[in-house]
Amino acid sequence: MNRRIFAFTVVLSFLLASAGMGQGFRTTEYSSRMVSQVRIDLRDLGYPPIDVIPSDECAIRALAVSPGGALYGATSGTRSHLFVLFPENGYVQPLGFLQGVTTVHRSLVISKAGYVYIGTAKQVDNNGQGYEGYAGGHLLKYIPKNDESKPIRIDTPLDVTDLGIPIRGEAVYTLAIDRERDSIYGLSYPHGQFFSYDIAAAKFAVHGKVAENIMPGEKFENEKNISRALAVDDAGNVFCSGENGSIYRFDAEKRRLEKLKLTAPTVLGREPYNRVDAWAKDPSGIFYGGTSDGYLFRLNPKTLEMDNLGKPLNQYRIRGLVIAPNDKLYGIGGDDDEPARLFSYDPARGVYAMLGLIEVNRRPYYAWQAWVIDALAIGNDGTVYLGETERKSKLYLYYPEMERRKPAVSKTKGQ
Amino acid sequence: MSRCSRRVEETDVKKQTVLLVLLVLSVAGLFGANLPSRTVTVEYREFTGLETMDGNWSALYAASDGKVYVGLCNHGGDGHLAYYDPKTDRMHDGGNLTEAAGEALRRLGPQSKIHAKFGEGKDGRIYFGTQRGWWFNWARLGTKEGYPGFHWMAFDPKTNRIEDFGLGGLRDQSINTGAYDPLFNRIYGMASPRGHFVYYDVAKRKSVDKGRVSNWDSICRTLGIDREGNVYGSFGIGQVFKYDPRTDEIRELSVHIPLRQKGISLGRDYGKSETAWRVVAWDDKTSRFYGLDESAGLLFSFDPKAGKEGEVRQLGQMCAPGFENRRDIPFTNLGFALGRDRKLYYAASDHEFDHFNTPKWGNVYLITYNIDTGKMENLGAMVSKDGRRVYGMTAGDTGPDGTVYFVGVVEVKPQPGRPMVSGGKIDNIDYRLALVFYKPK
Repeated sequence: MNRRIFAFTVVLSFLLASAGMGQGFRTTEYSSRMVSQVRIDLRDLGYPPIDVIPSDECAIRALAVSPGGALYGATSGTRSHLFVLFPENGYVQPLGFLQGVTTVHRSLVISKAGYVYIGTAKQVDNNGQGYEGYAGGHLLKYIPKNDESKPIRIDTPLDVTDLGIPIRGEAVYTLAIDRERDSIYGLSYPHGQFFSYDIAAAKFAVHGKVAENIMPGEKFENEKNISRALAVDDAGNVFCSGENGSIYRFDAEKRRLEKLKLTAPTVLGREPYNRVDAWAKDPSGIFYGGTSDGYLFRLNPKTLEMDNLGKPLNQYRIRGLVIAPNDKLYGIGGDDDEPARLFSYDPARGVYAMLGLIEVNRRPYYAWQAWVIDALAIGNDGTVYLGETERKSKLYLYYPEMERRKPAVSKTKGQ
Repeated sequence: MSRCSRRVEETDVKKQTVLLVLLVLSVAGLFGANLPSRTVTVEYREFTGLETMDGNWSALYAASDGKVYVGLCNHGGDGHLAYYDPKTDRMHDGGNLTEAAGEALRRLGPQSKIHAKFGEGKDGRIYFGTQRGWWFNWARLGTKEGYPGFHWMAFDPKTNRIEDFGLGGLRDQSINTGAYDPLFNRIYGMASPRGHFVYYDVAKRKSVDKGRVSNWDSICRTLGIDREGNVYGSFGIGQVFKYDPRTDEIRELSVHIPLRQKGISLGRDYGKSETAWRVVAWDDKTSRFYGLDESAGLLFSFDPKAGKEGEVRQLGQMCAPGFENRRDIPFTNLGFALGRDRKLYYAASDHEFDHFNTPKWGNVYLITYNIDTGKMENLGAMVSKDGRRVYGMTAGDTGPDGTVYFVGVVEVKPQPGRPMVSGGKIDNIDYRLALVFYKPK
């Protein structure tokens, strides 16, 4: 090596390695903890610094991709907003705020016709507090029309149709849609009632509860164990978890909610505290689920065979799962007080990959790290969208590797 | 890829190497290592019994009774609060922060620092929040052996003890920046690295998290409080925010403080924080804040009442002589205070200072700015009465008698028959932390 280059490298390495923690300096070693910076980028929720969904109103807790590929997102905070991102444009367009709504928690679904359904809530996962006198969360319908060419709307109310309150006095906690049968399914908070909405008939129906009792706990604890996500199989049956971590199935044909002899995986004894946090369905119809204790599992909805695939992170919660065109599963983990980490799982090889903390470093233009991610969706082109859930939040775009990795070939002769 | 990096790619490798070596050497502070002809004499007092403390950032407060409180850092160990009583000319250990937090036996990440400004309550107590030491490149975030989070605390001069108000409730987070407001009796803070605005209401015994304001790289380093109890800081590229305790709301104002243009590389730009609103002091007479930006020591005033959302004015540049408008100007120190003589005092290093991470021992100049006349003056390089080298200056405040205090480092000289005890080494010179003071004429 050229001597001067060597000398420069030594001096610079010393400075880089030793520069001060007092000044908020991060080393290249720190960068290795982050998602590869050529695979991630972010978007502000609008046109900053002014025409952007404001702080305290921008926590993303629901994302959904339309059949045409547009990403819709709903925010929570002092006001909820709806936004859209068209991949061909690449920017986030705020469409307006939802009048009287502060929370949309995992309750954004899009029908085959492209209509956007929004389940509204008040604070959730808050020990069931503040529900006295609450009328109940609504199911709203938004019909997209020329969204691509609409101006940015921050302080304009979104034009929606109110389809009614699915459960009196309760919030909409999570929604799923059966696009083939035009049925929407949901769970309520804080009491975990399972409901459906028939789009064609414009009718709600309540089918029972997934939790009767609060979780075992101290005197001040008042939460029921309710699934934070729902999954619809190819036959139209709906899966979720409930009290004691039990898996529930809504039989679409019999129109009946039933408790299965299955439990969301965790260590023995933790079942009452563990719930399904996220679902994804692969092209063959097999479900993958993530639990609040941070376990990944596989469920065959036909045979009801369930495999515990272990715990990818030493953190709580798998808050989002998607299956990419490369056949890998991408998941995000971490509770509200833990930094969000991205991982992948290759079902073919049964192997996890740790992809790192969520940060985008495009200095000197912009840089931001996400601590809490509570919404995940996958675009038709394979882009993984991650919604940040903080007072100031961004939308992240993760670009998975597109080629399937070839199976490793042993170099050892004769084996 | 930025235009800047494209240019570098196109540059001949040899030229690039030579240029970068020169740049690194200039950052390392080879300029100005010799004592200049103009000097200003200061006194210092070491922190007796606390020889191994290795840093101080911002934590210095000259109380109404004249006592001077200092937060001492100890990476990998327990931080301490120390105080100096000018009446007796004695330094005291005010307490071990980890022990005060009740975490001494838990073998968790210790309470290693007070990293922010103190404040004095109407009850005479000295209020503050705590911070962690090492980061372990985030490997211990959220782990059982990791840092449990900051505590809110007060030192009570009547009992001579630290009182712990408990955990702030944000796991892994530290009080990076802080201030106390006697009007609303609250300790405020910016929690790091998440960038949340937090406070502790002393009367209500309640810790509140108002959520995220900044990214880790733009957490402002001082919170300013006006006489009405409104709290100000910056986020992003120097944009000012305001917290109103009456509404309990944070507003992002349209005003920005002056900063050097982004995109000037000093070789460590991709991972370095840029805290913008570095130091500020409130001036009751003009009802304005006076402060320095981090990037280039740009002096500004901020009048929160002017215009719709306040008015910022750039007043000049406070830096070591010769660094004006230079791209390799060291980042701004925290040794800044408003004197009783209407002057701002700033201890300006001639290269970047960060305790044991400082590559070269250099000079620190005492620069003043007269608020009333607008005159800037270099009083000279600071030297101690006993001829020891002093450097750094990472906190500043003014006592009731007008003495301007800083916390900096002094070199440790070997003494026959006595072991060398130091807080660290800079440029292979052992140092100890010291309270440095300057008495304006």
